Amino acid sequence: MQSYPAYVINRILTAVLSVFGAMLVIVILISLVPGDPATVLLGPLATPEYAQHFIAEMGLDQPVHVRLWRLAAGFAQGRLGTDVISGQSVNTIVAAALPHTFALAFAAMALACLVGIPAGVWSAVRKGSAGDTAIAMVSVVFVSVPSFILGIVLLVVFSIWLDWLPVLGLSPSASLRDAAIRMILPTVALALGWIGLIARLVRTSMLETLGQNYIRTARAYGLREGLVHYRYALKNAVIPTLAIIGMGFGRLLGGAVLIEIIFARQGLGSILYDALQARNFSVLQGTVFVVVVIFIAVNLLTELSYALFDPRIKFSRR
Amino acid sequence: MPHTTPCSRRAILAGLAGLGAATVLPVGRAGAQAGRTLTVRIAREVQSLDPPFMTGTTDSNIIRAVFQRLLAQKPGTYDYELDAAEAVDQVTPLQIDFKLRPGLMFTDGYGEVTAADVKFSFERFARPNAEGKMSSYAADWAALVEVQVKDTHSGSIILSKPSPSLFEVVLAGTSGVIQSQKAVEALGVEHAFRPVGSGPYRVAAVEPHRSVTLVRNPGFTAYTPDFETCQLLYIANPKTAELALRSGEIDFTELAVDAAAGLDGVDGITVTKRPGQRFIWLGMNMQKAPLDNLAVRQAIRAALDVDQMILAGYQGNAPRLNTMIPPHLLGHWADAPVYQRDTARARELLAGAGVSLPLTLKLTILNEPAFQNMALVAQALLQEVGVTVEIDQREAGTFWSSGKGESGQALELFILRFNANPDPSYNARWFLPQQIGDWNWQRFDSPEFARIQAESGMNSDRASRVEQIIELQKLMDASASMVWLTNDVFALGYRAGIAPAFLPDGNNWQFSHFKAV
Repeated sequence: MQSYPAYVINRILTAVLSVFGAMLVIVILISLVPGDPATVLLGPLATPEYAQHFIAEMGLDQPVHVRLWRLAAGFAQGRLGTDVISGQSVNTIVAAALPHTFALAFAAMALACLVGIPAGVWSAVRKGSAGDTAIAMVSVVFVSVPSFILGIVLLVVFSIWLDWLPVLGLSPSASLRDAAIRMILPTVALALGWIGLIARLVRTSMLETLGQNYIRTARAYGLREGLVHYRYALKNAVIPTLAIIGMGFGRLLGGAVLIEIIFARQGLGSILYDALQARNFSVLQGTVFVVVVIFIAVNLLTELSYALFDPRIKFSRR
Repeated sequence: MPHTTPCSRRAILAGLAGLGAATVLPVGRAGAQAGRTLTVRIAREVQSLDPPFMTGTTDSNIIRAVFQRLLAQKPGTYDYELDAAEAVDQVTPLQIDFKLRPGLMFTDGYGEVTAADVKFSFERFARPNAEGKMSSYAADWAALVEVQVKDTHSGSIILSKPSPSLFEVVLAGTSGVIQSQKAVEALGVEHAFRPVGSGPYRVAAVEPHRSVTLVRNPGFTAYTPDFETCQLLYIANPKTAELALRSGEIDFTELAVDAAAGLDGVDGITVTKRPGQRFIWLGMNMQKAPLDNLAVRQAIRAALDVDQMILAGYQGNAPRLNTMIPPHLLGHWADAPVYQRDTARARELLAGAGVSLPLTLKLTILNEPAFQNMALVAQALLQEVGVTVEIDQREAGTFWSSGKGESGQALELFILRFNANPDPSYNARWFLPQQIGDWNWQRFDSPEFARIQAESGMNSDRASRVEQIIELQKLMDASASMVWLTNDVFALGYRAGIAPAFLPDGNNWQFSHFKAV
């Protein structure tokens, strides 16, 4: 049996390898993207000499292995590159955008947990009721409809018809209250799919847990149903859901990218969108790398914490 | 008795609920303007506000508001008037003298605008910057030998050859702006986002991927712009921009033409549709069989119905175009043939060309709804005469590289759009033989066209220049490699109380001339 420290080292090494693999994929994919960045970025008036200089500046005139080496060396030193158009460091661009994307992703996940977990528990304890069926139907709708469609629907309903909330997710003022208000719709749009998913997962786990002997024992002792559900059953039932949430954080970031565009929010999404549209590869590869690292890091943390929290996973004490 | 604040779980939850409720409370229209603020949507990020290195209309719209030129375009026209200069005289075809108004000041304490700054600004286009970057607009000043400085306010622009379009296209355009030499040298790369000008506005803030804020320049005294502040918000998605206009969060935006119909009649919103000055056409690669056969090209032109195509593409909002130079621009060929669909003629031409039917051709287009609709109509129309069309739609990055190098040789049919310039010789340059493999996607290889285009670019006699430009369009027509479709249309939406100002192409905005009505 593997010890916990050995397990941790093993997972970290896998994560590092994944990062290198991701870098290779980034470089290969960028070399496969059709379209000439000099044409797109410089327009029709650029001289062929300058276009060539520009391509060289991006490093696109180099073979894949040279580009990969340069990229790895830069990333290892914490340098994500330089935007060849604006001359700005990609680190600065990403650092300015990252807090906005994180705020949106965490707010959406928090909302999804706050609503999805109680909804799942409620559904499980009222299995087969009209409420359970209604939650199931709504959950399926939330899970199946893409977040950007939900975003547009929310905008039309809450910003245009009801005129309650602003359309734009970016705040022209420095007011924290205004910024918070402008977070509501993007957060809800991003969270709805997760609310549905979490509700379904928690319901399934809860049904399994509620059939366990220790729950029967707790009821036999005369404990209140609420106590049985939330203190004893949910504690175990939620563990698989936590794993899914961790693994799904990357998907959440992907959703945040689209939501940022729909709600005109500053963030990694708008940077990626612009960079891809403009074939600004220096910004694109630096930003994608950051997203990949976040994704791998969150997965790593989830795996490590899952191993700690789930009492069924045993490690040797060597 | 000690007074304690309860800090139970119940209290915390109640507090959180209260905070949540507070944030969900209706806030009404978020765009309520404090003072006179103009809030405009920009669809593209600012790339560089350093004029020689700007990359698109977002940049150029800001540059026009921040810098002065010797001459400036009047709102809504390509006519120009004196701006920073109190006199500009064409002394000979190769010399233009200018005298600056005294006392014009750059912002941020960079001193008075001088003839030395004019020299620095114009000559900068021909020189690489500190990073070895060359201006993409160097061709605008290709005829410039030097700017001679006579005194603080006077100088002469010396040219190597006559440049009839220099006044309206270069001096009054963004290649004619006057930068502060001191500021450019002191700020370096930073100048691209902190431009120092002497125009009606100054850039107060640039927040990447978010917004640009322009505030009135108190040192600019020629006139006072109506809006104290212009806030330019970056909104990539056109649907979001449309909803933001409806909700009052922005005052002005360009709209998708199909969205414009939905906004017509909405209370408090004005929608304007303006014919553009771009040219859009269906092109054919003259060097790729069977399109290297004139009769095949003529047959395709005869089989197409331009009116039906643009009706499908623009829902009746865009005018038909029959030649390259749009109406109202110098050199428009008013008598250009208006081709009508003639399937019998098309079949006859195809039979005479000796090609075996059905022909299969690929039509490459940009993945925009107007192009998709026009391509579908063209596909149906050509099918009737035995030409099967496969539509290859590409996103912008890929599409705009389609005519380059080897991929350009493989092109067959395509629908293409170019921005027009007030200078007809400039518009014709994309069809020169040296542009084959670059922007001449038809691979239209005419030495005669090249000769006349070069002559027209130096011809100061307006009447004979018009004749030359018309001759160029006749040569294009004779090649049958271009089926002209439309000038495009621009739909603009704005809140009541705003009177926008733009150049005739509708795509270049003049923030300093926007009016609060």
